[in-house]
Amino acid sequence: MSTVKATNFQNASSATVNMVTDASGNVSFGGTAAMSSSFLRNRIINGDMRIDQRNDGAEVNPAVTSAYYLDRWEAVSTVASKFKIGQNAGAVTPPTGYSNYIGLTSLSAYTVGASESYAVRQIIEGLNISDFAWGTASATTVTLSFWVRSSLTGTFGGSLRNSGATRSYPFTYTISVANTWEQKTVTIAGETSGTWLATNAAGIYLTFSIGTGSTFSGTAGAWAAANYISATGATSVVGTSGATFYITGVQLEVGTVATPFERQIYSNQLAQCQRYYYRATAAGTSRIFGNGYVTTSTVADYTTPFPVTMRDEPSALEQTGTASNYIVVAGSGGVTCSAVPTYLTSTQWGAQYRLTVASGLTTGQAVLCRSATGGTYLGWSAEL
Amino acid sequence: MECRVMIFKCLPINEGETQIYARVDEDGLIRLTCTAEYPEFKAWLAEGNTPLPADEEV
Repeated sequence: MSTVKATNFQNASSATVNMVTDASGNVSFGGTAAMSSSFLRNRIINGDMRIDQRNDGAEVNPAVTSAYYLDRWEAVSTVASKFKIGQNAGAVTPPTGYSNYIGLTSLSAYTVGASESYAVRQIIEGLNISDFAWGTASATTVTLSFWVRSSLTGTFGGSLRNSGATRSYPFTYTISVANTWEQKTVTIAGETSGTWLATNAAGIYLTFSIGTGSTFSGTAGAWAAANYISATGATSVVGTSGATFYITGVQLEVGTVATPFERQIYSNQLAQCQRYYYRATAAGTSRIFGNGYVTTSTVADYTTPFPVTMRDEPSALEQTGTASNYIVVAGSGGVTCSAVPTYLTSTQWGAQYRLTVASGLTTGQAVLCRSATGGTYLGWSAEL
Repeated sequence: MECRVMIFKCLPINEGETQIYARVDEDGLIRLTCTAEYPEFKAWLAEGNTPLPADEEV
């Protein structure tokens, strides 16, 4: 590759220098620098795995078929308890420049059934990929990049697919050295067929497989009219007891080049996650969750605003499962709840919920909801 | 969506209020309450399950 060595670059019609380079490798622009896609390039939220509202770094054994763990990252497990998952699980040093990763560890030497899948995935909201123009002749090429590490070596797989599971693109990547972080890049031609939602519903499913059966495995490197989760012949991490699979720095962007991982201010990244899930967790006792009013001698209804507008109206309320974690503060005293908080209603910007006590409230009284102990939480989900 | 080994039961409500359901987890704790629109609840119903009435002990 040849190198052009110059300090100043100037368009023939420009009165001033357009671009200046210096000996330190810096580039300065005289005007606006425009790219083929925006500066906010990465369509993956929490790609560096920093945000973990649900488990705060604790490792979890997914006893469920599909559930969220780190924010925006969903574990898929056809049969429960085949792997465990957690932020920084395994306590290895992340790649340079990163502090966090998702760690998955196989709990057995399991033979994956033909119609089974084990994976970690992110469902990208349609609003965030509408410019891809997938499903049209103008479909843009995208590039996926990520850091990955495994105790196993070989060919690993994943896929991109649409919400209707009618179009999918299996891809492969090779892990060459065991227990070593490697950065991988996959460039994917834009898909001109199928329906790709551009709404607040699911746009693209990006999946990293750790074990997928033949029914959901297809030829790598080509779009198919099928629901493929991985590539045929890919390594099964859950097939080896104790095998590990770690991933971070996930970026999906327009174009054929994997640019450096797009860094986010922590507060911005948290807000992006809170569009899909919000958990208010008390750092200690006497933390206030919301304001309310007493409706009967045993019931008080509360309102808590969400910090950002959520993707959709949550239809459930999560709490610790222990009634005594929650206290109704009325006047000068607090009354411990006799039942767990319950969902009442919600909008995209706030929720109502109900606290119940055995007795002692006065109808019409203004009240607060506070924690009896640290770790008490209320949570609302608008995940895809 | 989540598919725990659990059940849902109806919660007592006042007249005119939307029916709320409680998810009773394997350990007997209720960690989630929801409306009929909650995707996990809908998936549970689709499996042929029926929520317990409000006054039935789990």
